Amino acid sequence: MGRYLRLYLNFLRFSFSRAMEFRLDFFFRVVMDAAFYAVQIVFFSVIYRHTALLGGWSYDQVLIFACGFFLIDALHMTIFANNMWWLPIFVNKGDLDYYLVRPVSSLFFLSLRDFAANSFLNLLLAAALMAWALLRFPGPLDPLRVTLFLALLVNGAFLYYLIHLAFLIPVFWLHSNRGLGETFYTLEKYSEKPDRIFHGWVRRLLVSALPFSLIASFPAALLFEGLRPGLLLHVLGVTALAFAAVRAAWQLALRNYSSASS
Amino acid sequence: MIEVRGLSKDFHVHKKQAGLWGSLRSLVKRETVVKHAVKSADFHVGEGEILGLVGANGAGKTTLVKMLAGIIHPSGGDARVRGHRPWERPRDFQRQIALIMGQKAQLWWDLPAADCFLLLKEIYQIPERQYRETLDLLTGMLGIQSELNIQIRRLSLGERMKMELIAALLHSPRVVFLDEPTIGLDLTAQRAIREFILEYRQRERPAMLLTSHYMEDIERLCERILIIREGEIVFDGPLAEVMRTHARHKVVSVQLKPGAPRPDLARLLGRGLDLTVLEETPERLRVQAPRDEIPQLAGRLVTELEVHDLAVEELDIGTVIEGLLHSRQGAA
Repeated sequence: MGRYLRLYLNFLRFSFSRAMEFRLDFFFRVVMDAAFYAVQIVFFSVIYRHTALLGGWSYDQVLIFACGFFLIDALHMTIFANNMWWLPIFVNKGDLDYYLVRPVSSLFFLSLRDFAANSFLNLLLAAALMAWALLRFPGPLDPLRVTLFLALLVNGAFLYYLIHLAFLIPVFWLHSNRGLGETFYTLEKYSEKPDRIFHGWVRRLLVSALPFSLIASFPAALLFEGLRPGLLLHVLGVTALAFAAVRAAWQLALRNYSSASS
Repeated sequence: MIEVRGLSKDFHVHKKQAGLWGSLRSLVKRETVVKHAVKSADFHVGEGEILGLVGANGAGKTTLVKMLAGIIHPSGGDARVRGHRPWERPRDFQRQIALIMGQKAQLWWDLPAADCFLLLKEIYQIPERQYRETLDLLTGMLGIQSELNIQIRRLSLGERMKMELIAALLHSPRVVFLDEPTIGLDLTAQRAIREFILEYRQRERPAMLLTSHYMEDIERLCERILIIREGEIVFDGPLAEVMRTHARHKVVSVQLKPGAPRPDLARLLGRGLDLTVLEETPERLRVQAPRDEIPQLAGRLVTELEVHDLAVEELDIGTVIEGLLHSRQGAA
């Protein structure tokens, strides 16, 4: 474990030294993400002009939920997104070769090697928005539940990465993964909405096989509606299952890796 | 160190007719062909040995190397490298091997090599002292201590290749796979890399498997070679053995005395010998002949010409191997 932590610290060091070379890109990303956050907040503000509650949540509650999602998105963009973007390219160009001969987990290496240091300011921005949304909340918030909520947001970022990876792994067989990639970006929009607004089989799907609602919505529900052990177990259990499934799929995919001609 | 038994690899490749109609047809019904990249390979490589893998493009050399490095799974057969099945990728196996691919970089493009080496130190858990000693040794042997802190992308191709070699050897591997390590390098850099490999072999005695299209790499580095043609190993033995079994011809070179009369080649060589004139100038004559006709030819030349010097040469190894690669009969 300590060794993997040291490896990750090296990735961080490399990423920051690289990012400093491209200053314009560094600032451009901050502006782009700030605009994205603003659009999302305005979206909910407009909805709440016409209704007092959405999926049983007030505007202040939805603001915390939305900021929770921003934080998850920023964590994903900073930690995983670049690596996810490169993965299909690496598979198709045969560039996994060197990762497969090293005595470390290839999944760890390929998921975390490229830390987006130029998104790091966005992570700080998202954290600041989260703090603002929590501090402006009119009712009392139990510190223990806030801590659990924040921990579950980190879990949500991990779950988001697992789902994203599940949509990318088929590239080992399909070689062109554009269709599945687009499908993921269409489906992930469900994680930006409170889970209560969905019903029937859509909702069942969103809390099980495609657990987008467990990413940000369930953590927010735990914060607002009290500690429900069943809900907590559900989130953690699905995350653990998703991790096991993705690892198994990864091993299977590597068996199918054909590299590329020299 | 490396034991290979009946190892094979098939790739299933889609075939598609050209044009829009072909694309539409392949959408509905796809034709798949099986490409036998490696066919039942058997060989072994011992400690301190450099085995050369020679073959044309697409012959299956790199596929073989990638199976033995644990990158791709075989379709059949078995192999053990230091007692491990490579494609199971046990950590103990991965710690003992190194892979260098001349056409693919493993180092971070935007970082100095020194930073990349520190990451490898963590990956291979190299103790600090061993890391320092190995790094000093390798940079000293390759003469690139002063380039360690320069970004990889600012180095010349030759310097980059040297850094790639250091990156691969920092953890003192017992088995080294070298896939075209000198490709694209100028002659000086090629020579430096070859000398380094020889010195490293002498010092550390790992088993090495080398693929290269440069015959000089093979001649200088390998005592033994495998010739692979369309996935099949058609020769496994010492380099000299290739000459003995497959070079059916030799070349006789004659240096004539200054002012000697020009020989009548048609009369001289046209009597019952199977000969090819490779070079003819007023001072010099080079003739290729079957091995068993060489004594008769040499005798005739010495008797009938004013010879200053005469030499019998083997055919160039590259020519012999090229003949072997391109002829189904396997003779040059």
